[in-house]
Amino acid sequence: MIKPVPEAPGSDSVIVAVEQFLYLEARLQDEHRYPEWEALWVTGEARYWVPMSDDGDPKTQISYINDNRERLASRIRQLSTGRRHAQTPKSRTRRLISNIEVERNGSELHVSSNFILVESRRGSTNLWGGRTLHRLIDQSSELRIREKTVLLVNNEDSIPNLAFLI
Amino acid sequence: MASTIPRSIHAQSSEGSVDYSLLVQEGRVHGSLYTSEAVFHEEMDKIFQGGWTFVAHESEVPNPGDYVTRRVGTQSIIVLRDKDGDYLAFYNRCPHRGATICSSRSGRQARLTCPYHGWTFALDGRLIGVPYPAAYPQTFERATLGLRSVARCQSYGGFIFVSLGAEDRSLDDHLGNAKSLIDDLLALSPLGRIRLTGGWMKHRIRSNWKILFENQIDGYHVHVVHGSLLASNKTFTSGRDRTFASPTRVRDFGDGHVDIDHGSDYRAIDKPLLWMGRHSTHSYQEYVGAMTASYGESEARRRLVNGPPHSMLFPNLSLAEMNIIFIEPVGPGESIAYTTPVLLEGAEELNQRTLRRCEGALGPAGFLIADDAEIAELTQRGLNNMQPEWIELTRGIDQEEVREDGSRIAGLMDETGQRGFWRHYRNVMAAPRVARP
Repeated sequence: MIKPVPEAPGSDSVIVAVEQFLYLEARLQDEHRYPEWEALWVTGEARYWVPMSDDGDPKTQISYINDNRERLASRIRQLSTGRRHAQTPKSRTRRLISNIEVERNGSELHVSSNFILVESRRGSTNLWGGRTLHRLIDQSSELRIREKTVLLVNNEDSIPNLAFLI
Repeated sequence: MASTIPRSIHAQSSEGSVDYSLLVQEGRVHGSLYTSEAVFHEEMDKIFQGGWTFVAHESEVPNPGDYVTRRVGTQSIIVLRDKDGDYLAFYNRCPHRGATICSSRSGRQARLTCPYHGWTFALDGRLIGVPYPAAYPQTFERATLGLRSVARCQSYGGFIFVSLGAEDRSLDDHLGNAKSLIDDLLALSPLGRIRLTGGWMKHRIRSNWKILFENQIDGYHVHVVHGSLLASNKTFTSGRDRTFASPTRVRDFGDGHVDIDHGSDYRAIDKPLLWMGRHSTHSYQEYVGAMTASYGESEARRRLVNGPPHSMLFPNLSLAEMNIIFIEPVGPGESIAYTTPVLLEGAEELNQRTLRRCEGALGPAGFLIADDAEIAELTQRGLNNMQPEWIELTRGIDQEEVREDGSRIAGLMDETGQRGFWRHYRNVMAAPRVARP
């Protein structure tokens, strides 16, 4: 499923591999395929972060989401019970990803991208948008997420439940 | 007792008045109180703009010129610290032509300048600058054109409260027995102080503010609403007994202030720090050492066993264990819950853990509160249905212990807290409107 990462930095084939990875991740999230989404992550130290401002400092501030690898697994376990009320029923979502920029940084790829996400749930529609920063590693010729930061455009305003995977 | 009330009494508009002593009864409450526009406006007038509400914490405005803007009922209020270190609260409106003075949520200013014509105000509200003043007539009186202060602004234990009304009641009277809850929270700091500087989550919830109030002190829903968390995360849950037989008590302190006294459970087990998680591997040696140094071994241990309060102070402030939540009503079917961790002065080791626990459990993506928000929204939608007209609040009504000071004590899963809220609500709402300038 996940394509090997070509070696040449900045080449079209690297960008295509990253694009395909982001689209795969988006689809797994939109379709609530929780274990498959979790499998895109490294098994070691990781961070899934949705701060309350673009310059939030987690040492002194709380975030909307600030999961280390253990808490990420816990989030997936809770969703997988099928009894997480905030996702019963599940949000219907589809997201578009664009403005992708890829930088090679040592053994990591630093990927930034924009997204627009439409959520439909219980008769109302929410529009979400923002910029996502991925730190990806090439693990046995497959990309894995070490860190994902989502900068919501409305992160300084009040937001409704965010219980689906952003 | 009549089982139904004519629809005509629901949501009476300004020409009629809503009979709150009929709609709020001991053990049942009329559903229209959660859905009516007219009731909402009267609540903003009598409760949020007529009495004391929590507005900010001193640690949010530590230096002269620091300010935050907050909503009190329908009103935007600037809370700032002036040059003398006092806390002042002003209506966020220029006395000239009415523009909003502060459009940011927070900031620091040496003086406040209106963005429209540039009128400038000192931190104490005095008008000190008017561009091109020559055209004003002789009758123009600067002294009367300062920022308008709210009627009263006072703090207790670092919590700043305002009252926009001219009611005679002091903050001390309003807080009443609930001052001890704030004291219990401050008692966990080796320095006796907390700060609320970890940032506020802002959670938009499509439900009436009273549903959020009632849920905060509800010990009956946990296994159902939070079943997915209890099933999936053993380390996250604290060591408390959530069964029907739990020694935990709910208490109604009077004046609408109510709590779930988890301390009664912790004291029965008699182990310190259970409130930071039973399975926690953290021993917090630095923190325990600092508490012992401040208060001596046995008093420090007593405090560390007892833990933080889990309470609602009427009408909008929740001391939610190691978190503070306040509720901003937006409309009859919409509220914003603001949430921040309680950071203890002199306990930085513990504070790091508190930050992580707060963001894990609370707010729009939190393992706990996202599910509470979902239920609050479903409750609001349910209450929009006309039948049955009443909600049932009799759980534990015959088992309450009434103390000499009027407070009531009952079991963890009893609706004593909700009844305490409504008893005070009825007193406030049934009183005549207070005239205000």
